[in-house]
Amino acid sequence: MKKVLTSLEEAARLVQDGDLVTFGGATFHRAPMEFVRELVRQGKKELNLIDREPAIDFDLLIGAGCVAKVRTGMLAFEVFGMAPNFRKKSEKGEIVTKEGACQPIIAGFRAAAMGLPSLPVKGMLGSDLLTISEVVGSQVEIQDPFTGETMIAVRAIEPDVAVIHAQKADEYGNIRIEGPFYEDVIKAKAAKKVVVTVEELIPNRDIRKMPEATTIPHFIVDAVVEIPKGAYPCSCFNYYDADYDHIKEYLKAAYQDQFAQYLDNNVYRRAVA
Amino acid sequence: MNAKIETPDLMIYAMALQIENSNTVLHGVSSPLPILAMSVARNTHAPDMAYISGAEGVDPELDRIYPSSFDARLNRNAVAYFGLHEAFDLAQRGELDLMFLGAAQVDRHGNTNLSLIGDVERPKVQLPGGAASAFLMPITPKVVIWVTRHSNKVFVEEVDFVTGQGYNHRAEEYKANEIVVISNLGVMNFKNPERAMQIQYYHPGHTVDEIKENTGFDLRVAPDVSETPAPTKDIIELIEKIDRDGVRNSEFR
Repeated sequence: MKKVLTSLEEAARLVQDGDLVTFGGATFHRAPMEFVRELVRQGKKELNLIDREPAIDFDLLIGAGCVAKVRTGMLAFEVFGMAPNFRKKSEKGEIVTKEGACQPIIAGFRAAAMGLPSLPVKGMLGSDLLTISEVVGSQVEIQDPFTGETMIAVRAIEPDVAVIHAQKADEYGNIRIEGPFYEDVIKAKAAKKVVVTVEELIPNRDIRKMPEATTIPHFIVDAVVEIPKGAYPCSCFNYYDADYDHIKEYLKAAYQDQFAQYLDNNVYRRAVA
Repeated sequence: MNAKIETPDLMIYAMALQIENSNTVLHGVSSPLPILAMSVARNTHAPDMAYISGAEGVDPELDRIYPSSFDARLNRNAVAYFGLHEAFDLAQRGELDLMFLGAAQVDRHGNTNLSLIGDVERPKVQLPGGAASAFLMPITPKVVIWVTRHSNKVFVEEVDFVTGQGYNHRAEEYKANEIVVISNLGVMNFKNPERAMQIQYYHPGHTVDEIKENTGFDLRVAPDVSETPAPTKDIIELIEKIDRDGVRNSEFR
């Protein structure tokens, strides 16, 4: 085992301009927000973002001008409504939006995790989403060779980098996720590089006492960074809940043309541990 | 004298009645009404249903809802975690019985749009996206679409973009699967040979004519159309107890 513990700044350098990137969590839960803010501080450009149901993580990067393309099943702010920067930049043509659907995106990650070029899924047929997907060549109608059933083959999605925020890890990158997993384990196996930010570092001997709790083993992890409150304002199960008031302030700033100020106050001037 | 029943509570009860005791049911993102409907169903006529939360908990002891439908507190005292990819596997096996989905537009054949208005390459209006709609709509035995603003801008002759597949956009083998549309005015289904939308129930205080006037196509009326069953006082109290913050009203503002 090799130690992979590093700083936030070093870990964020693993993301190159133009990379295909995915994040762990779903909507306002366990998104790697401090890592996202570091990407903004490092001025990343032309990122290609993909995920099933992201929210403030994607919208923040879009609003900060770090994103060229977005592919999601849904990108919104739950009951608070639309994702403001996503909507604005998509309608102005400043970002390319290729809407996917949850299942094909997950299937694409699963294919990559299994080392397969594609994976068939049911459903999808008859939806206009296939006309979008076919533009990028990610979904093609096929017949099952045994039953003849018509399905959609989804091309494997192999992100350049998957970034996950988890509860615990040791310095070698043995990762414990507590509570809901979302597709985090699948994404880690699918990506070329894996960065995990954690609430808490724990000793390797503690990891060895309960190996069944290690959902991502060290050999697929490239960097571990200890960042308490690293998902804020999103939740981290067993540590803190989502700060819905902060999320409302974010929306207010975006809608009142004060997003630059939001970035100043919450991203650029933020002291990082 | 009966106090007036609030529209969200009427919709939640109508949605709950779609669930059968033997069903396995999943809710998705941004779904306060489905979560409350699932909770009402398991506390009344469907105690044996399998409840899969979008937050991944199975059969949680739900005591409260939050602005996010993926909030891990929704998994309180769950018996297991079952991830979304596992719920989708279940759907492909035909074993996910019912799913609740939203729509920005819905048309006479049951097609839904949650994607965009205007040009695909340069949308006039960028909508949030269909999430699981295009995957689950055709293959799930029953899909319940909920719409909080019944108007002729939402109920249109033909959707601008087919995100979720209605009866004219699905293979023959999936035409037996049921679509039910529950709005703030009534309950619509497609139980006729042409699989065209028809009014089955009008909510108390509303009429068939009002629903037709607020629909952008010639909406049919079921021969046995009647008033939507109203929830009892106990059910309304249950809804208020779980949603003491009034999250369910957010879609009606």
